[in-house]
Amino acid sequence: MSRVAWVLLAVVVCIGLVAPFGDWERAMTVIPTEAGLGPSPGHPLGTDHLGRDVLARLQLATSAFAGPGLLACAVALVLAVPTAAVSAYRGGVLGSATRFAFTSLAAIPRFVLVLLVLSIYGDSPTTLALAVGASYVPLLGEAVYERIERLRGEEYVLASQAHGLAGGRILWVHLVWFACGRLIGRHLLALFGFYLVLETTLSYIGGFGVQEPHPSWGNMLVFEWGRRSLVDPGLLAPGIALWATLALTDWASESLGEVEHG
Amino acid sequence: MGDVLTLSGLEVRAGAEVLVHSVDLLLAAGEICALVGASGSGKSLTARAMLGLVEIDPGVTRGTLEITVGDRSYQPPMSGDFRARKRAFEGIRGAVVGYLPQDAGRALDPLRTVGRQVGHTARLAGRDDGPLPWLDKAGLQPSVAGRYPHELSGGMAQRVVIAQALARGSRFLLADEPTTGLDPAVRRPLLRELRHLADEGVGILWITHDLRATRGLADRVLVMSEGRVVESTTPDVLDSGEVSSPAARKLVDATRRIAGGRVR
Amino acid sequence: MLRTLLGRAVLTVSSLVAAATAVQLLLWAAPGDPIDLLPNGAELRPQLEAEWGLDQPVWMRVVTNLGRAATGELGTSLSYRPGTPVTEVLAQPALNSFALLIASLVLALAWSAGLAAFTRGRRQHTSRLVRTLSVAPVFLLAHLCIHGLNEVTWSLMEAGTIARPAWFALPGEASAMRTALAVVLLAVGSGALADMHREAEQALISIRRSGFVDAARARGEPTFLLVARHLTLPLASLAAARTGFLLGGLVVVEKVLLINGAGAILWQAALLRDVPVALGITLMAATTVCAARLAADALRVGIDPRLRSQA
Repeated sequence: MSRVAWVLLAVVVCIGLVAPFGDWERAMTVIPTEAGLGPSPGHPLGTDHLGRDVLARLQLATSAFAGPGLLACAVALVLAVPTAAVSAYRGGVLGSATRFAFTSLAAIPRFVLVLLVLSIYGDSPTTLALAVGASYVPLLGEAVYERIERLRGEEYVLASQAHGLAGGRILWVHLVWFACGRLIGRHLLALFGFYLVLETTLSYIGGFGVQEPHPSWGNMLVFEWGRRSLVDPGLLAPGIALWATLALTDWASESLGEVEHG
Repeated sequence: MGDVLTLSGLEVRAGAEVLVHSVDLLLAAGEICALVGASGSGKSLTARAMLGLVEIDPGVTRGTLEITVGDRSYQPPMSGDFRARKRAFEGIRGAVVGYLPQDAGRALDPLRTVGRQVGHTARLAGRDDGPLPWLDKAGLQPSVAGRYPHELSGGMAQRVVIAQALARGSRFLLADEPTTGLDPAVRRPLLRELRHLADEGVGILWITHDLRATRGLADRVLVMSEGRVVESTTPDVLDSGEVSSPAARKLVDATRRIAGGRVR
Repeated sequence: MLRTLLGRAVLTVSSLVAAATAVQLLLWAAPGDPIDLLPNGAELRPQLEAEWGLDQPVWMRVVTNLGRAATGELGTSLSYRPGTPVTEVLAQPALNSFALLIASLVLALAWSAGLAAFTRGRRQHTSRLVRTLSVAPVFLLAHLCIHGLNEVTWSLMEAGTIARPAWFALPGEASAMRTALAVVLLAVGSGALADMHREAEQALISIRRSGFVDAARARGEPTFLLVARHLTLPLASLAAARTGFLLGGLVVVEKVLLINGAGAILWQAALLRDVPVALGITLMAATTVCAARLAADALRVGIDPRLRSQA
């Protein structure tokens, strides 16, 4: 079950990474005569109100979050993990200061911080990815810090120190990789999901994020509802895709085990 | 007093594995019956089955339990419908059969003072005289009433739990290793407290792994091994080494070796 | 007890100051002249240069602005409602948002605790269903609810079955229905319910397995109050931890469900690059989170004697 989730998630991300290099005429060309068609062999999910193929737009829209989402994960990983790991391993003033910084920054709600950054620095996918990644640093950092601080005094760490194992090796291989790997993985999956939610939310409400004519699973949901039925597959597809992808990240993260406490 | 607790044919299973095999046990008012065995022999499980608190999933309990107090008789179902069992045992727990846990410190609510907890128990038992008489009976100063559990020593915590059992008015007490983990200096007075309770007419099933401690305290000794009662005798007989079952033999020998080692 | 609380208060306030400083630095670290960022920057330049203290070094600006913010002065709005003090722009919407926040927090706590009492780590299917439902983003749930409700109501109205119901509001109209929907969705969507349920469930399981509950059970005493009292401790921490998350969700529900709140204003301010308003709201949000943390700490210290004796 969880393996299926990982594979499907990987497929979605791959489509998103490859999409910018593809030819997306079907997704972008407006054909007024083909507007609002139902599902047919030519258009498996029908067409939207401007006659564009919904399935193609659905695929193209993955590029709006796959790349930037991974970038956000990389930013959080690079900023949070080394800082948290080193300061938790060293402890002392450095540890307390890092801890205090994480706690303080965590007081600013992530979504609010991202909007503030957009208002100061303007809106672009890269800015958004950097802002989301940075806004996740306190959360990831605190989790890694707590784990390493707790393990630092454990017998096996003390034993390897006594055996003369180098401090760096103990920290990076044993504490970060073995003891925190799954924890970090879970957080990065959550962050990827958060980016997806944020991007689609911004695009749905409008003004930020992906804007017409480019597709996002968020802005594809905005259209004239009046004439068409609620259960039209073309109208529900972006919502279902979004929901399913988020459920996949949730399942995948569950397979990493260790549900956190408290 | 004719109060008596009879357990017969108790069997506890976890799935296909049988943890307790047809245990028969008789506990009369005013006696201390020691249930001795190595860890994992099924002693605690036997005691918890008598409270209807076997928490194995999926666990199956079988057997009959009959308790006579005065002219009343209780016969809670040991198997069958969960709700019916739960209701039947709720009428017995505390009022008829009480429990002294191993780790008394953890058995007290850390958020309330000792006095409030003992008083609460007394009130539930229909006694409105507050916590102090019960604390006194358990050998504690009145000042203890204002303390929180984390401010108590292990021995004091165990006395508070005894005070609660007294306040609850249990006719039988299942004491699950009540002195394990305590200082030897604290252990003896606590065990004497159990003897006082028995002299006042409470029937006590004392679960322990310490054969030597039963001497001079327990009226009878049951030896359990691998889920069965393998020996039913008295401390004096055990002392003389006249036991029939190999499991009891092993226990006696082990106890002697330890005692011998200490003398040397 | 007072000393413990005082210590926590000092820590919380200093972390709030640190957060505010970080936000200020974010502003002054922006490349180029911050006034050039504004759509109407040129005409406002003389006024802003003085107000923002652009002739001073960055640390002076930060200190000055923090001092002003501490006295409740957050500057004036630039484009959303030009010239109005930020505090005035925000007063009523902030109250609306606060009411939404409290309502959804209470609702989320209540049903995550209730659900936890129902599942207790056993009903895997229920938990799975809750998780799958709850991962849906707030905006998607709001979208589906609004359109589903509208569609059903429209078709019933067209068929003449019902007259226009009182709660059926056209876009732009405020309605109690929308507010109620906002509260519910905030407490469910974007994983809120699933995460809180899981944490409440774990807390409940560990409390029910603890020695004192077992002992109370063995004494034949009712355990409901005992468990409830112990559950308040993790629930208080949980509520404080979720406050920031819900504040983020507020922006979305207010925008999608057309509620006049601070979140909707933040969105507008970000669009118009009205930095003083955006900063003011960020600061308010951080203050709310810190206040929630402090309140949770106070409650825990008040209930748990072990925390009192630590300090």
